[in-house]
Amino acid sequence: MSEIAVVAGFGVALDRAYDPVGHFWVSMVGPDRARVGLDALGVETSGTIAQLAFLPVGEHLKRGEAFGSLEAAKFVGPLVSPLSGTVVATNDAVVADPAVVERDPYGAGWLVELDLADAAEVRDLISGADVVRVWFEAEVENYRMKGVLAE
Amino acid sequence: MPELRVVDCGRVSALRSQTLWHALAYGVSAGAPPTLSFMRPSRPYVGVGYHRRLDEADLDVCRESGLPVFRRMVGGGVVYLDEHQQFFQIILPVGAVPRSREQALRRLLSPAVEAFRAAGVPAELDDDLEIVVGDAKICGHGAAQIEDAVVVVGNLIERFDHVAAARVLAVPDEVRAEVVRLMERFVAATPVDAAAFRSAAADAYGEALGLRPAFGGLSPYERDRLLALDDRFRSPAWLRGSPRPDPQSRQVKVRAGVYVVWTELEGRRAMATVVRGKVERAEVSDPDLDGALTAALAQARLVG
Repeated sequence: MSEIAVVAGFGVALDRAYDPVGHFWVSMVGPDRARVGLDALGVETSGTIAQLAFLPVGEHLKRGEAFGSLEAAKFVGPLVSPLSGTVVATNDAVVADPAVVERDPYGAGWLVELDLADAAEVRDLISGADVVRVWFEAEVENYRMKGVLAE
Repeated sequence: MPELRVVDCGRVSALRSQTLWHALAYGVSAGAPPTLSFMRPSRPYVGVGYHRRLDEADLDVCRESGLPVFRRMVGGGVVYLDEHQQFFQIILPVGAVPRSREQALRRLLSPAVEAFRAAGVPAELDDDLEIVVGDAKICGHGAAQIEDAVVVVGNLIERFDHVAAARVLAVPDEVRAEVVRLMERFVAATPVDAAAFRSAAADAYGEALGLRPAFGGLSPYERDRLLALDDRFRSPAWLRGSPRPDPQSRQVKVRAGVYVVWTELEGRRAMATVVRGKVERAEVSDPDLDGALTAALAQARLVG
């Protein structure tokens, strides 16, 4: 269980890598296997999640392609993969109860696991506790400036 | 000033009342200008939300009533649609839409509220992001990101058949009766001039988005996508959708914050009507009249 730091008012697991575009976290759970979930800002901007759906296990996808979809406030959007690979596991618990993602985004609320096609892609993500902290603070500030988050 | 393409498709088939605006969304994703579109189905049919189980619609009733069923790419549940509804859609490139879903919906539904007002309806956008008059929802909406475009859809409901709308839901009779009761209270038609609404919507969206409304049509690319979408929406695999888990309890939402939830277990059924977070009515049917046990089961299943 990783420690969750509070950064700019949001919980952030500092022990993993982050995709700044989709606000996903990535945690390596094997040499070429990564677990993916939504970070706190991804959850915040989604709103109350009503539905989640994932590609079936065995599907191949490239970075930038959808590994699933999320519905909140009757708004359906893609979950865009930060990495290329093959879906090897999906979290049935969050499909049955999407509120788990909001309650525990870095733990029980993980979304999918991928067998990576190119593990080097992980290096393109934001990682390292200090770097993550600085990036996340700036991102929250940016969201507040744009009015995406309430003051 | 950049253009807001306004596409008025008029009266179209049930299928095309869905596939046309999906094709326009693919077009905007591929570089077509932001688009406001309108259409009206020529006949009643049933729409199923992107993530919803097909068996939430009573397919036998739909078949007997001659109602086609189509799965859309926006969210929400099973809805009854007919020729007394003027559909509208606002479609923008994803980069022009706020990242927060709530903000995106607020921004893209507010001009529709202005259009309702201009047409003589004292509409408001409430805290639940419903377009309402008083407590009653007057516009069904949904949204989706389709490739690199965001589409928000809604309707001007000129007449609403609450009984027909509840009839297509696969629910027990007691639940259906309760849904009708709630729909009569919380869903209202606004029989105003649809042409005035369309004109006001073009002005309101143009002003809100800083775009100049200009009438247009589908591009060749969109026409190609339309034909492919016609095939997709007619295909049984698309209609079936992805497998979804069997829920512990079932729910019919009448409007945001107003729903009927029920569960069945070993011949017992517990049903609750929830209005703004409060259980307004609860009913337990138990053939053995074991009230205490049933209440405990209902509590576990409905509340957790």
